[in-house]
Amino acid sequence: MKRTIALLALTSLLFTSCSSEPTLQKYFVDKAEDKNFLALDIAPSFIKTDKMQLTPEEQTALKSLKNVNIIAFKANDKNMGAYEKELGEVKKILKDDSYEELIKFNRGAMGASINTKGEGQNIEELVLFANDKTNGFGVVRVTGENMTPNNVMTIVGLLQKANLDMDQLKPLQAMIERK
Amino acid sequence: MKKLFVAFVFMLIPTMFYAQSVFTKFEDKADVTSVIVNKKMFQLMGQMKMDPKDKDAQQYLNLVKKLDNLKVFTTTNTKNANEMKATVDGYLKANPLEELMRINKDGSNVKIYTKQGATPTQLKELLMFIEGNKTETVIVSLTGSFDMNDISVLTDKMNLPGGPELKKAAAKKQ
Repeated sequence: MKRTIALLALTSLLFTSCSSEPTLQKYFVDKAEDKNFLALDIAPSFIKTDKMQLTPEEQTALKSLKNVNIIAFKANDKNMGAYEKELGEVKKILKDDSYEELIKFNRGAMGASINTKGEGQNIEELVLFANDKTNGFGVVRVTGENMTPNNVMTIVGLLQKANLDMDQLKPLQAMIERK
Repeated sequence: MKKLFVAFVFMLIPTMFYAQSVFTKFEDKADVTSVIVNKKMFQLMGQMKMDPKDKDAQQYLNLVKKLDNLKVFTTTNTKNANEMKATVDGYLKANPLEELMRINKDGSNVKIYTKQGATPTQLKELLMFIEGNKTETVIVSLTGSFDMNDISVLTDKMNLPGGPELKKAAAKKQ
């Protein structure tokens, strides 16, 4: 009898520990269907490197990159209430979901922040968050393995010189044009 | 009664550890422009490779490694400016910092406070408060373990408000 109780207590503990907190990942999944949002996944193949000679450094940098998820909220006159609500939610998740805030900028109805998850200089997740009352807000979540600051810089450099697969960005372009 | 006291002490503990957080309330204010840079960012920036020949960049990197926190708040709203002044005054009362210099120029009042580290030029904290009567009111708070001389590099690179005043202060320290 005692054992069952102990077991029950243990299982209940297991459940509480993994389900309650809303994570950014879950938020991305939830909002992908929402009509106010635009969700976009970009694979590292977005950077077309097959025709390029990559230095070993660039190769490791590319390998450290796994996936890029983007979610954007398009603000208009009608969804101001939803904008405030969702904005608050994202801010709350960033605070609760053990992200470390690197830098934050705020000016009037505009704001931006860079957040990371990971130990030391090995970044597992990089989250860019920008909001502006007239346009909406966007969250870019970059996941990877051992993304060091140098790797990130190398990737930025690659973005500048490599051919980009613009097809993957089409939905985003469409959204901007719709405005 | 005892319980109440214990509860009270526990409530106070966070305020003791995060003395700096008195300024946090300005972070999300609509009329306040804020820039917050945290230790992790400085650590990551310190890891970046830069051209070893570029002396400015190297000096910059060295400084960045020594910093913990940078907070800048600016506002042109009078109500916020008054609140900032009150907060700075309250903060200085609770954490006495040494007044390094005071400048009056073109109607704005610049005050620079520091907390000294092991040596006279070694600083643990720098707080600058610019009180603008008609212009911007600014709070700059910098913590870490840095040298006064390094600061001019930072103000140059980051384009911080009050740069010239800080340079004067650095010259005075030497």
